Amino acid sequence: MLQKFSAFIFLLIVWFIFAGKITVDVLIIGSAASLLVTLFFSDMLFREVHRKLPWYHYLRKLALLLLFIPVFFYEAITAALKVSKHVFEKNPSFNPGIVKVKTELTDITGLSLLANLITLTPGTLTLDYDRSEKAYYIHWIDVETVEEAELKKKIIARFERWVGVIFR
Amino acid sequence: MTLRLIISYFLMITGSAFAIVTVLGLLRFPDVYTRIHAGAVVLTISAVLVTMGTAIYVWDLFLSAKIVLIGIFFLFSNPMATHAIARASYKRQIALPEEYEIDAYSDYLGRDA
Repeated sequence: MLQKFSAFIFLLIVWFIFAGKITVDVLIIGSAASLLVTLFFSDMLFREVHRKLPWYHYLRKLALLLLFIPVFFYEAITAALKVSKHVFEKNPSFNPGIVKVKTELTDITGLSLLANLITLTPGTLTLDYDRSEKAYYIHWIDVETVEEAELKKKIIARFERWVGVIFR
Repeated sequence: MTLRLIISYFLMITGSAFAIVTVLGLLRFPDVYTRIHAGAVVLTISAVLVTMGTAIYVWDLFLSAKIVLIGIFFLFSNPMATHAIARASYKRQIALPEEYEIDAYSDYLGRDA
């Protein structure tokens, strides 16, 4: 019930933003459309909570999520600058390779978010996720030896800690 | 007032510069996967910067919220699309990499490296 209600409120807010004004007719049509979508697809937007946690856990998660946004933008902009540096080299040549990286996350939202973050960090691109072995396959733009790959896996472990605390 | 315009112009110009860098990277990088890298990282950041600059430029509650929503959607959809393209081109053997020293994914798919 809570799942359906929160999905309805979320859709209604998005409808108001896209309509651009708050009037009665927008409210009527928006609630009709949101209700229709909520009835059929509400399990796709939010999932049911299985474990009960104390309320301050959710507050902590929200604070970490807000704290994560500047960290994410900093990392993404440095990534863009690093790739841009490669563009202006005289002869762009790399040693690409595909590396297997294990992960400990189980939550589906956290897994897809971590895959997106890996794609946005410099020189990495998520190719696939193996569900049975819990491992990502990551295309690395510049990997020379196996030892160096081990060293670079630590960059991913930093993101994994963030995501693991927020989506658990 | 003018500070707001300066910030928005700065964001938009930085975003456009990153977009130009993306095109250069797509043209100059050696193989398919490295070109996908350029498209993934730099293009996402450029689009997000341009949308943020536009949101600051118009400075209207609903319009800015709409533009920010488009930026957030771009932030999620572009890495996913990139991942889908890269995975499909590897799995369907559309463009296989030639000389990779470390290739764990071909072992996983059961192919000879």
